[in-house]
Amino acid sequence: MEKYEKLEKVGEGTYGKVYKAKDKATGQVVALKKTRLEMDEEGVPPTALREVSLLQMLSQSLYIVRLLCVEHVDSSLSSAAAASSVATDTNPKPHHHHHNNNNNNNKSNLYLVFEYLDTDLKKFIDSHRKGPNPRPLPPALIQSFLFQLCKGVAHCHSHGVLHRDLKPQNLLLDQDKGILKIADLGLGRAFTVPLKSYTHEIVTLWYRAPEVLLGSSHYSTAVDMWSVGCIFAEMVRRQALFPGDSEFQQLLHIFRLLGTPTEKDWPGVTSLRDWHVYPQWEPQNLARAVPALGPDGVDLLSKMLKYDPAERISAKGAMDHPYFDSLDKSQF
Amino acid sequence: MEFDLENPLTNSHELYFDTVSSLFLTEPDHMPSLKYLKTLKDVDFDVSSRRETISLILRVSCNVDPFLSYLAVNYLDRFLSSQEMLEPKPWVLRLLAVSCVSLAAKMRKAEFCLSDIQGDGGLVFDTHTIQRMEVLILDTLKWRMRSITPFSFIPFFISLFKYKDPPSRQALKAQAMEIILKAQNDVELLEFRPSVIAASALLSACQALFPLQFSCFRKAIFNCSYVNKEKMLQCYHGMQNIPLEGYGSLMIDLVSSSDTPVNVLDGQFSSSGSEKMDGTITSTTSSHGGGSSSTTTSWPPEMRDLKKRKMSGSCNNAMPQLSQMHAATSVLMRD
Repeated sequence: MEKYEKLEKVGEGTYGKVYKAKDKATGQVVALKKTRLEMDEEGVPPTALREVSLLQMLSQSLYIVRLLCVEHVDSSLSSAAAASSVATDTNPKPHHHHHNNNNNNNKSNLYLVFEYLDTDLKKFIDSHRKGPNPRPLPPALIQSFLFQLCKGVAHCHSHGVLHRDLKPQNLLLDQDKGILKIADLGLGRAFTVPLKSYTHEIVTLWYRAPEVLLGSSHYSTAVDMWSVGCIFAEMVRRQALFPGDSEFQQLLHIFRLLGTPTEKDWPGVTSLRDWHVYPQWEPQNLARAVPALGPDGVDLLSKMLKYDPAERISAKGAMDHPYFDSLDKSQF
Repeated sequence: MEFDLENPLTNSHELYFDTVSSLFLTEPDHMPSLKYLKTLKDVDFDVSSRRETISLILRVSCNVDPFLSYLAVNYLDRFLSSQEMLEPKPWVLRLLAVSCVSLAAKMRKAEFCLSDIQGDGGLVFDTHTIQRMEVLILDTLKWRMRSITPFSFIPFFISLFKYKDPPSRQALKAQAMEIILKAQNDVELLEFRPSVIAASALLSACQALFPLQFSCFRKAIFNCSYVNKEKMLQCYHGMQNIPLEGYGSLMIDLVSSSDTPVNVLDGQFSSSGSEKMDGTITSTTSSHGGGSSSTTTSWPPEMRDLKKRKMSGSCNNAMPQLSQMHAATSVLMRD
């Protein structure tokens, strides 16, 4: 990793630390995502292999943050070298190195090197809400960002990949070109999650689909479309649509606006694992939550926020919605 | 999710228009370089090393899954095409073969472990050595392990075929798959894009099985904007020299149909083989885990000490192998 100069830690993603870094040779600024690889008896772990190669393939879309390369750092090599120097050393520190020897195959880091973008949609929305010049996001920009988001999500879904954690922080912006890119695609099972991020990072529930909150055991591409709907509303409102601070509060936020779901709206809802008896709210007029949005936009939003996952609009379906009729799609 | 060569992009069985176009767009990333192909044609030694390594791949993968060996050979070609081959030692080629098969097996989620792969009675490498070779291959291939192969294009091209009934399509597909597997051994056909290989193989199969449909099918394929007609004709003609034998029965099983005619493989392609590889394809029938005893390769003296050294975890043992590994990589990477 001597190729890169670490500039600063920019985040603690779900799967490890993220650094802003500079490629010493080219000067290119990149994002380095460090993850630990557990090497086992069978060499490179199969799940890591399959997931990184999947990520490599997905990142060929313009609307997915580009994975520039993958650097593997085998620290067992340096521990082996250390051990050999210990062997010739008259004052070895046996315990430490002995331990390393036993774990010869276990210590290995994988650095995923991504293109670096310095703004994300959260910062962008914040800069329009507060600061010296608060103002709404231009409607044409919201339309363009939402289309790009749908396009990126459609790309993931057509490759059989769910994102599972779409939120404004995970949508990076190239402000000069007006391009939105999806980041932090779930590298689910392959990587050992550092304990730190479990405890230090507050996982946001604001974009989580009701079926996930209610403990549905199999969920699908619709979970991402729920998040897309929440992000759409947030761009219009400049504040979160459902800012819950616990899973229960999150559900109440949703129910208060969209009405408490019934078996009629969503067959099977009352048999979900975490279903309880909730206060009975009637659905509110969605347009009032997004006053700046026209009727086509409200219609699209309501289709993204359908309770029944089977009824929720797909990313491809959304791209064909009349809300985008006024958009010049040929530029994407 | 395991990697399906016929469906590299999606899980769903829908054929999206834009995923098809992305297949055509990205296929060049999964091919060996032109320079490599030229060296293979010009330098006899390289052709024979390639042939030797392919037969090792087929031997260590026990021929159980033709897709697995196909993928491993794809990794091999792409790896070799970005390295300078300076007369690599036989053990290096074996390490390469074992590592390519190991990677392909993991991508395919095959029930394999390293001891299975190395259970053919040949030289045994320890886990750490194989792991380092795997990483070197991954780095070289930029972790693009979901190779786009001719198989990826079969569903698309077969959708252009007029007969929609499953038995006809399965027969066509079985024949085309066999041609594709054979074509991988033919250095002359390596230069063609996976999509061109797929289309040519299907056309060849059509010519043999449904000659009356041939011109209609060819027209449909030619009408497809992604296909370079000239290249396709060249490739199609090149394919007529491929001897068809050996894989056939496997392919029929793979396509899985009791309706597939048994004589599918007795088409016009059974000309006498000239490009046949040194007997390994036919002689090692699936002896999974059994370990064929007929290893005739004699290892050079410097390799005998590496032979049969199983992974032991002891550092003293690992050190010489690390340096061997460095020797191997510096032989392969001259930069």
